[in-house]
Amino acid sequence: MATPGTIISGIGHVGLIGWLIVGWGLTSEPLQIQTMDVSVISGEEFEQMRARTTPEPGTAEPTAPVPPIVDEAPPPPPAEEDPPQVASPPEPVEPPVEEAPPPEAPPALPETEVTVAPPVEPAPPVAPPPTPDVEVSETPTPPQAPTVASTISEPPAPDARVDDIVREEVVPDDSADAEVIAEEQEATAPEETTTAIVIEDLAPSTSVRPSTRPSRPTPPEPTQTAQQDTPTTTTEPQANEEDVSAALEAALGAADAPAIAAGPPMTGAERDSFRVSVNRCWNVDPGSVAARVTVEVGFSLDRSGRVEGNEVQLLSSDGDQSATNTAFEAARRAILRCQSGGYQLPADKYDQWRDVVITFDPSGMRLR
Amino acid sequence: MMKRFLTLLVALMLAGPVLAQNGPLRLTITDGVIEPITFAVPSFEAETAAAQQVASDISRLVVQDLAGTGLFREVPATAFISQVSSFAQPVAFADWRAINSQALVVGAVTVNGDQLAVKFRLYDVFSGQELGQGLQFAGTTAGWRRMGHKVADAVYSRITGEGGYFDSRVVFVSESGPKDNRQKRLGIMDFDGANVQFLTDSSSIVLAPRFSPNGDRVLYTSFESGFPRINVINVATVGRQQLQTAPGEMAFSPRFSRDGAQVIYSLSNGGNTDIYRTNLGTGQHVRLTSAPSIETAPSLSPDGSQIVFESDRSGNQQLYVMSANGGEARRISFGEGRYGTPVWSPRGDLVAFTKQNAGRFHIGVMRLDGSEERLLTSSFLDEGPTWSPNGRVIMFSRETQGAGGTSSMYSVDISGRNLKAVPVQGGASDPSWGPLQP
Repeated sequence: MATPGTIISGIGHVGLIGWLIVGWGLTSEPLQIQTMDVSVISGEEFEQMRARTTPEPGTAEPTAPVPPIVDEAPPPPPAEEDPPQVASPPEPVEPPVEEAPPPEAPPALPETEVTVAPPVEPAPPVAPPPTPDVEVSETPTPPQAPTVASTISEPPAPDARVDDIVREEVVPDDSADAEVIAEEQEATAPEETTTAIVIEDLAPSTSVRPSTRPSRPTPPEPTQTAQQDTPTTTTEPQANEEDVSAALEAALGAADAPAIAAGPPMTGAERDSFRVSVNRCWNVDPGSVAARVTVEVGFSLDRSGRVEGNEVQLLSSDGDQSATNTAFEAARRAILRCQSGGYQLPADKYDQWRDVVITFDPSGMRLR
Repeated sequence: MMKRFLTLLVALMLAGPVLAQNGPLRLTITDGVIEPITFAVPSFEAETAAAQQVASDISRLVVQDLAGTGLFREVPATAFISQVSSFAQPVAFADWRAINSQALVVGAVTVNGDQLAVKFRLYDVFSGQELGQGLQFAGTTAGWRRMGHKVADAVYSRITGEGGYFDSRVVFVSESGPKDNRQKRLGIMDFDGANVQFLTDSSSIVLAPRFSPNGDRVLYTSFESGFPRINVINVATVGRQQLQTAPGEMAFSPRFSRDGAQVIYSLSNGGNTDIYRTNLGTGQHVRLTSAPSIETAPSLSPDGSQIVFESDRSGNQQLYVMSANGGEARRISFGEGRYGTPVWSPRGDLVAFTKQNAGRFHIGVMRLDGSEERLLTSSFLDEGPTWSPNGRVIMFSRETQGAGGTSSMYSVDISGRNLKAVPVQGGASDPSWGPLQP
């Protein structure tokens, strides 16, 4: 009949069935837990969260609304403030920009041009001294290449550290005073700088360079050594080396300035904005001969976006002298008239727009 | 040592690309604006007490000339921030920039007896520089208008780069009386309608006057004998001379050659009209066309090598171009309607014409190959275009409709802008624009 095995089997089966029944119910718990998370958020908090989140769309994402979601999660206070700071770019700070003051302008005009012509004949302009006349407001003029170069100096170049070292060398060059320092550096310093750049550059070309490698680690010293290095070399007997080092510095210095200048590229919108701001002052007379002439002009802007010295230069033209002059005058008027307080250009990209070349092409405006 | 050279080499190699990447910002601008250039003309300084009125008059005339072109717009004196009380006074450019005056004309006038002297300077306000050098003109008080025009011409020329046209005269047909009994005589006036004088009386009909290249003579068609004849009149002496033609011939539509020594015109004989050239000195005639159709209204190119004229040889009145010595002609007008009275531009690049189409008359211009035709006006009757000395403006006749219709003269910029009537007392038609006066 019922053997012990059967009994055990029966008990086992019953237990299994019971566990299954009960077990299914237990397994559903985790599901409840998940729903719990959702429901756990209190109505008030949810409203608060909504209230905070709603304003978001208007502005940037960085704003605060985050905290409530996690409930228990630690309040995220400080992190939020960071983004705004990052967004701080607007401050660029362009200080001066005023130009008003210099009204009186030119010194005295010599009466000059007093050619007496027979009635009606335009007397040739006798006047010799064309007094310069008002040199309108010359704005600030603060930015000086050297300083900027030394500080910022982060051209998109790959190896940042190496660059830094190099620059520092350049800057101090001017001070030939430091000659006092010992000679040793002469050897080490140049190696540092040179090794850093040279090795890496040369490395790809000439594969067998291992021997020089060892010298590299030796000079972990800071820039000072490098700086002094140059002078020491100078003190050295041979004048040739002086020249070489001078040329080197000049070359590096030159490289430095532009490198700093490079900066981030201007976006299409920024270029368009600049173009439009000149457009609206470019007055074209479609019936004139000048409307058939394309001129290319160049000028430099200071950091406030104003044309330096109000000087605009004609670079090229495809018309005759007279038409070219007229077309150039119109272009110059456009550039100077619309600068008013300075063209609105991204301050951090100054080196991208410091020098400008604009081609004024009226071909699309000619009479048809 | 070797290392240093290597370093230098590498440094230069590094500097090169960096420098290259740091070129100037390059932009191309193709769309500008079309608007008048603003200018200010503070009343010229009167350097003598007697010059007060003339100084003011000349200042206003300069403004009137410049603003009348449509290319300039005056900044009214009420907007001035600073005043110019002395010709030698330094210019406060900032004040003129503030009122957006792009150009500034400063002048002074001196009157001693009937002697008048006018001097001026022109400034480009936004660059803070003088445009050209100061100029002075001397004459008599009676000629103050010419002095003002001279100043305006110089300003116009310096800013636009083109010659002016203010100190020029126009010969025209002055008309009076009803349409069915109209009296006509030759008149001459300043380009702006001032100083009208008459060269003939109204005893006979006169038509189509044409200035000589230097403005000393005028050709015109007279019906004094009952037949159309070509006369030459000396503007200074009003002395006349008639071009000899055979009995029964009708001569009309004359124009001077570029040297003023010859006349090209139409001669109608036996029902056929052709173009001829006659030497005024020798009286020698040369026939330039010989088609059985009507060829008329010849106009020489600026270099005198070609002639544009109208002909109906195709069955419809169209424009043709041929050598100044005659020969094969090529048609240049192909649009709808009829084309006539072509006039070659002083610049040489355009031909102005009268076009009749769909019951309307137009003044238009086209290139010498017939391309880029542009109609500048449209009315019941527009005809007889004539170019300003600089090729920038066209003056023409406009007649209004109806029995009481009158003729008047209008001018229009070749861009089609600035259409306006030339203010002349009474009726006027058939203008011919003379050269700039010396």
